[in-house]
Amino acid sequence: MPDITGVINTLDERQPYIALKQKKNTELACDNTSIAGSMSQRACVYSGARVALNPVTDAVHLVHGPIGCASYTWDIRGSLSSDKETFRTSFSTDMKELDVVFGGEKKLSKSIDEIVELYKPPVIFVYSTCIVGIIGDDLEAVCKDATERVGIPVLPVQSEGFKGTKSDGYKAACDALMNLVGTKEPEITSEYRINILGDYNVAGDVWLVKPLFEKMGIQVITSMTGDATADSISKAHGAQLNLVQCSGSMTYLAKWMKKNFDIPFKKVSYFGIEDLAIALRETASFFDDEKMKQIAEEIIESETRRIMPDIKKIRSRLEGKKAAIYMGGAAKALTLIKGFRELGMEVVIIGTQTGKRDDYQQISYRVKEGTVIVDDANALELVDLLERQKPDLMVAGVKERFLAFKQGVAFCDFNHDRVIEFEGYDGFLNFARELDVTINSPVWNFVGSKLEVENDDAFRLRGATNAKVPDDLNLKKVVKERNSMHDVNVSPMEESVA
Amino acid sequence: MSERNYTTVNPCIMCQPMGSVMAFKGIENSMMLLHGSQGCSTYMRLHLAHHFREPVDIGSSSLSEKGAVYGGSENLKKGLKNLILRYNPKVIGVSTTCLAETIGDDIKRIISEFQEEENIGDERIIIPVPTPSYEESHNSGYIKAVESIVKEFTMSDEGHEIFNNKLNIVFSENISPEDTREMKRILANTVGSNSYIMLPDISETFDAPMTGEMQKIPVGGTKHSDIADMKNSAATIGMGITNDNRAVDYLEHTFDIPAQNLPLPIGLEYTDRVLAALSNVAGIDIPEEYQKERGRLIDAMVDSHKYVYGTKVAIYGDPNNVLGMLSLALENGMHPILVVASSKSPRFAEYAMERVKQVKPDCDVAILEDVDFDTFNDAVRKADPEMLIGNSNGKYIAKEMGIPLVRFGFPIHDRVGAQRILSLGYHGAMNVLDKITNTILEVEDAHLEAKWAEAESYVPLGEDTFHFAEA
Repeated sequence: MPDITGVINTLDERQPYIALKQKKNTELACDNTSIAGSMSQRACVYSGARVALNPVTDAVHLVHGPIGCASYTWDIRGSLSSDKETFRTSFSTDMKELDVVFGGEKKLSKSIDEIVELYKPPVIFVYSTCIVGIIGDDLEAVCKDATERVGIPVLPVQSEGFKGTKSDGYKAACDALMNLVGTKEPEITSEYRINILGDYNVAGDVWLVKPLFEKMGIQVITSMTGDATADSISKAHGAQLNLVQCSGSMTYLAKWMKKNFDIPFKKVSYFGIEDLAIALRETASFFDDEKMKQIAEEIIESETRRIMPDIKKIRSRLEGKKAAIYMGGAAKALTLIKGFRELGMEVVIIGTQTGKRDDYQQISYRVKEGTVIVDDANALELVDLLERQKPDLMVAGVKERFLAFKQGVAFCDFNHDRVIEFEGYDGFLNFARELDVTINSPVWNFVGSKLEVENDDAFRLRGATNAKVPDDLNLKKVVKERNSMHDVNVSPMEESVA
Repeated sequence: MSERNYTTVNPCIMCQPMGSVMAFKGIENSMMLLHGSQGCSTYMRLHLAHHFREPVDIGSSSLSEKGAVYGGSENLKKGLKNLILRYNPKVIGVSTTCLAETIGDDIKRIISEFQEEENIGDERIIIPVPTPSYEESHNSGYIKAVESIVKEFTMSDEGHEIFNNKLNIVFSENISPEDTREMKRILANTVGSNSYIMLPDISETFDAPMTGEMQKIPVGGTKHSDIADMKNSAATIGMGITNDNRAVDYLEHTFDIPAQNLPLPIGLEYTDRVLAALSNVAGIDIPEEYQKERGRLIDAMVDSHKYVYGTKVAIYGDPNNVLGMLSLALENGMHPILVVASSKSPRFAEYAMERVKQVKPDCDVAILEDVDFDTFNDAVRKADPEMLIGNSNGKYIAKEMGIPLVRFGFPIHDRVGAQRILSLGYHGAMNVLDKITNTILEVEDAHLEAKWAEAESYVPLGEDTFHFAEA
């Protein structure tokens, strides 16, 4: 384990998790449970399972536990559906004291029966929460009985909040999915078939990617879990290749499918011009079909040409700006480095909640010397890192948004709250536009400013002193000069109008 | 959906620790630590950040499997230690979660052990608030935390009993930062700015001005010396009447401080009651400024009455907020058709009914408590209101029914400005009424536009609609 790095002041125990990229061999500690009282930005095992599974659109997601866990996760992910919206409804057994004392198995069983009768879902995922693990409800047995009784798969998701980290939740989600994969025969419409894994269709991302593959003559059997249905997941074994994007959450499932169905997988990203091209080319070369390869090249060529004029225009306004990345998973962080480079920006802070040793090694190869790499950063560390590295922009999730704003740093949400697609060609254009808007907005000029009075003896009430000027006199606003790179005098909007 | 007995679908409430967090955020220089797994604090931070659009830090003891099996004492102590190292708060609220309660951790004992081991003197106050998540709701968590805060400060300040002739104001339910500011303005103009102690005070902590620098702990909140001084006050007003305000009761029974509980001053009648009480306490006439504001509100009510009269409205949210909004709707001639409180409280239904009888005895209103949104949605479909007033979670049914939703309460995560919604006092009533009226007018505009867009709805004068034209 590396020594204390002293990049910023923090708890001694946290120091090994923060490193500066060195010329050779940048090492940092990672993949551990969070330290009590450190204000980690991570959530729990349940949260990992919930975010990974929740986008299955026609499933009932039943939370077995007290009400809070369901309250805080009701429709929180911006995943979209092309059909059913069942996943946006929150179901909970709402365990009360009596259930905790006498066990919640009965209530859970009855709740399942009730849901099947009223909502008729094709599958129910039952999530266990902290106390279920303590009071010893046998989730597996209840779900197994229920499956036989109600005639649809009722699948346990072993996600007791305290039993590990968010990554363990991803595994629990994959374990549940494994019960579905291979249970139905796929309808085969093409000789080339893939699954899109680790894409959650936030803001409709999948819908900008899937058509590209279809144009190449490929049948996309399912996308997991964004815009997936129980039915499409059941047929996933009909694919010949799994494309894994969010590798932190779905590699485990991809490996399992390799072992059980002999389906190989490739790690890809649909974000940024270069990574998109790689994803399309590698898929085509996997199937080794000349026509497909040709179509892929045509797509890459024409789509890049289509968006490039706009990208170039925006790039001229972003060039040289510095970015901070703090992501849940490492895959997104990695692809963002490239994306920023394509926009002429440089990464000065990069961190993740769930990165592994390999991930950080990959990251360290791709960033410049002096970039801060951090695992499981907490709120105050992020504050200090923003202060130290002075980025113009942070890309992260909701909790980090207001922390960045308070420090006068522009912000882009690349997490659940996003309402604009960032994947595919149009998605990358959206991303560039969003950065332009947030970095070049005139509002940053006012951050940290104070209203000051310029004394004007000619315009003053008799007897008025310098110290006090009534509120309703004509005051001149003096905006404090900021030393960062936010000194933009012309707003991008005005510029583009001209 | 039809009758359900075992499943909660789309919850109206949050768990108890959330209420505790909201109360502690209104205390000067304080931090919150949740004894439980990492997710609880993160989820609440997320939820609060969505609503208030502020950074929200809540510590966690990050209980792991080991902690859950052998007891979480070590984790809690470490959490406290690290929180002190990093944030150096004067006050730490420690609330339990379902996990900590189920494994049977005694946080009071663990905290005193910690204080002894780490030599924590009077300079740092750690307040345990047991809030098992499988009991009650965020509303009860709030009341319990406020009670614990008052108890802790008044006890640790023993020996300092000097009558201060101040008025205590103790909230029993969360209100917006803007409403908190409005309440302070009203208090300053009646009892005087140095003659009241208000708890909790989130006016700054959940709506901090932008300075360009991030504060570890947001500035603001009720001062510690003030909380300790509450036992020396002349009177206490509890804000909110649907629940027992345990802090108010405690001050009354322990220190003989006369107490009164009043509704949240939402709408004319309830604001009148609060202002009358404040004027009485202060021994002054209603200030001229407020007579004018009151007159302006009545003027606004008259301006709006034709538009809002008879509008069927469903109101939902936390009980005291809903009660106030019900009162406002009734006195403006609206037709509350469905009134729903998120959690069960001893007197919500009684006061809601009382207010209905006072103003509109023939009003057929359904009053529900402690239901989930699925049940609420069914009730809405049945009642068929023309408008919803409540938090963002009503957006689904509003959309389904094609009716507008006037956002009010907590949580509001899909619009900006939740922290600045003003509903208290005459000013608040004017603001809410204007919003309601303008929403109705906008719907009306759309209806008219659609109506006249259809060719057949226009029949020239002189034909069979002649008598209408005459009328």
